[in-house]
Amino acid sequence: MSKLQKLMTILYIVIFSLSSAFAEEVNVYTSRHYDSDDALYSEFTKETGIKVNIISGNGSALIERLKVEGKNSPADIYFTVDAGNLWKVQKDGYFKSINSESIKSVVPKNLRGPNDEWVAIAKRARVIYYNPNTVTANEVNNLSYEDLARPEWKERIAIRSSSNMYNQSLVASLISNHGIQTTESWAKDFVKNFARNPQGSDRAQIVAVANGEADIAIANSYYIGIMLSGGSGDDQLQAAKKVKMHFPNQGNRGVHINISGAGVLKNSPNSENAIKFIEFLLSKKVQQYMVNISFEYPVIDGIDPHPSIANFGTDFKEDRTSVADYGKYNPDAIRLMDRAGWK
Amino acid sequence: MLKPSIPSFWAVLPFLILFLFLLPVLIVLFSLFSGYSENWAHLYNYVLVDYISNTLYLIIGVSLTSLLIGTISAWIVTNYDFFGKRFLEWALILPLATPPYILAYTFTGFFDAYGTANNIIREIFSLDQSFILFPNIRNIYGAIVVFSFTLYPYIYLVSRAAFLNQSRSILEAGRMLGLNQYEIFYKLSLPIIRPAVIGGLMLVIMETISDFGAVDHFAIQTFTTGVFRTWHGMYDLTTAMQLASILLIFVATFVWIEKTSRKKALYTSGSSTFKPAKKIKLIKMKAVIAFLICFIPILIGFILPITELTKWAINYNLTFFDEKFLQAAMNTILLAVAAGILCASIALIINFSIRFNKNRFSNFLSSFLSLGYAVPGLILAVGIVQLFALIDKNIFINTDIILTGSLIGLIFAYVIKSYALANSTFESGFQRISFHLDDSARTLNSSGWNLLSRVHFPLLKTSFLTSILLVTSEVVKELPATLILRPFNFDTLAVSTYIYAAEERMFQAAAPAIAIMLVGLIPIILLTKMISSSRPMDK
Repeated sequence: MSKLQKLMTILYIVIFSLSSAFAEEVNVYTSRHYDSDDALYSEFTKETGIKVNIISGNGSALIERLKVEGKNSPADIYFTVDAGNLWKVQKDGYFKSINSESIKSVVPKNLRGPNDEWVAIAKRARVIYYNPNTVTANEVNNLSYEDLARPEWKERIAIRSSSNMYNQSLVASLISNHGIQTTESWAKDFVKNFARNPQGSDRAQIVAVANGEADIAIANSYYIGIMLSGGSGDDQLQAAKKVKMHFPNQGNRGVHINISGAGVLKNSPNSENAIKFIEFLLSKKVQQYMVNISFEYPVIDGIDPHPSIANFGTDFKEDRTSVADYGKYNPDAIRLMDRAGWK
Repeated sequence: MLKPSIPSFWAVLPFLILFLFLLPVLIVLFSLFSGYSENWAHLYNYVLVDYISNTLYLIIGVSLTSLLIGTISAWIVTNYDFFGKRFLEWALILPLATPPYILAYTFTGFFDAYGTANNIIREIFSLDQSFILFPNIRNIYGAIVVFSFTLYPYIYLVSRAAFLNQSRSILEAGRMLGLNQYEIFYKLSLPIIRPAVIGGLMLVIMETISDFGAVDHFAIQTFTTGVFRTWHGMYDLTTAMQLASILLIFVATFVWIEKTSRKKALYTSGSSTFKPAKKIKLIKMKAVIAFLICFIPILIGFILPITELTKWAINYNLTFFDEKFLQAAMNTILLAVAAGILCASIALIINFSIRFNKNRFSNFLSSFLSLGYAVPGLILAVGIVQLFALIDKNIFINTDIILTGSLIGLIFAYVIKSYALANSTFESGFQRISFHLDDSARTLNSSGWNLLSRVHFPLLKTSFLTSILLVTSEVVKELPATLILRPFNFDTLAVSTYIYAAEERMFQAAAPAIAIMLVGLIPIILLTKMISSSRPMDK
């Protein structure tokens, strides 16, 4: 008996982890993870002496943790790859305004929260990939998301499941521009044009186009960069070489843009450090470093995307629909896609 | 002389422990009593039928397939002697080290239209690029294969133990009555081991329905993907928790029906004298067939994923195996072992007290806690976070103790999530101890701790170790649904895998995924050692 009890006592002591007490620190809850993150954080610590503590996890689950921790939350920054989650935290009132002139001066208004509750750190476009052997230049010329519901695209389109947040944001942006009814009838026709049941990742859609399973695919811009870098294998590299990229809606509002973004939390114990950290992420040096690794687009001027992405063009028109609307209409978008039979 | 107080202690203790660990599950279930949003009308009108039918197809398919694989392979290795049998006997549990989501990822890499398998076929027969031999596996059938080939070891383990314990006299009686080998298998042996197999099958079913990673990758709309869609996309956590609760109630009903149907029949072995069954020697074709039947599950469930992962890791990312890996591996092992020991101890105490006290309520709570296995990890994590926040706000007000974000949360989650594994092991362990033994012990004035530590525990050492090892291997591969519970900068191997897999960077995820499988192998190899020493006739 005593042995078991001793064991339990020891266990409990081991289990209570003591958080290391650093004089200067910033605590980040993040759902964005890159290989390079560690290097970035240690660079920040080297420059400022502020230690970066990380919990990475699912965006929605981290919000739940933030909520129940309430005033006791150690979190300073919430960092995520989904505009919808930023909107959610903002709507529930867990962010505070970021008072930084230097941030306001470099990041355009549509890439910040209504009252500067959050700010974009990097952006990506949701573009069309097509197979030049099966799709004519005439067909893609001026092609928009709206056009993809037309009968000439019957059984030619590859896109992933409606559970994917990038698709939800895209549909939310359509709702924001056209209203629910119009978007719903669009979605019903669009689903008829699917070449196969929605499945797999964004990259799997690009591969499907390269292999002739579909003629066009909708996927995020940076994936082609990753594939072309060879970092995901020779098969994907060869597939990526076979497809071309098209920026939709250039004739009207522009290509759909989504963001990675961060905000400072209302109960942040180290809010000055938090702002310093966000300013650091938006500095020229770090932006250049980040886009070179993630193949995303920078949010500040004067930085070029990675050459393999820049080759597809940098002079395209971006949709200025407020990113906050993606979150606002996200639940509507899901229900709409369910009704349209988008699996 | 202290006798009157002892029973009450053994009645109260399990109740307290069970209640504590049940709280997060109860928090999830309480969502059923809060309001029902308009999203329910939407779910009912458009998707619920799909969720239910897909989940049912999945359960039926996985149950049948894993039952076939588990029982037949166990039957072959316990009753026949052929080339490779000794190896197969323990290798058949290796797929337990493969998390279903990792098999799903490697499967698509391997069998996709332009994946390794089709490329090899095209190369060998110099066929055109458009030739595709292997069908698309990103569908429900693919998912059934993935779950069956990673989870069948739960059935194999119990079937094998049960077949070994089967008295030879029964089989001999069967033979005398003119049954052939196949008839003995499905008319005699199979019905006798039914309770054990169903215990294993429940584990398989619960893990299947709580999984998110694999079904999400195959884009199959199940109850659990519905839970996360509703939560992450419609921002409706309450409805998500209500959905998860309904799933739990469904599983609970299933467990209850199974238990009541079992009550009608008593499955106790006639005698404790063990007569090892004589094994039949197989040669030539029959040996080859037996070998293949047992080897294919290992090939698909273990060799294939680890080969594909190794290929990816070598081509892409070996830098993972640096200091960071060591730290993550250490954290993983420590957590897993701590959770394993805690879980096994709890299951031992609970099952002992149920037996000692014949407490039906504790028995009910224990089955209830087993349902924790069926709760999707992230939902369980929310229950725990909410519970801890309550405790922090109301109990630890003036102390420095903060439960939220401590490792206690992680251990807590792991215990709830894997109690079913330890519990089912002890249930069958205690069943094997005759009640006469308890009576004899009582006449010698042994009861309570004394009875447990001096009589039962020595007999249950194998169950204790098996529980620890099963829980450990489960914790190692647990998709870090429990990510959000951890302290700052605390990484485990599953965390490293997840952060890449979440962004579809499977090549980078390959190295940590291999690490998960390798670390997961440690408890499994220990388990196999126990298995090979558990054949009295081989000694």
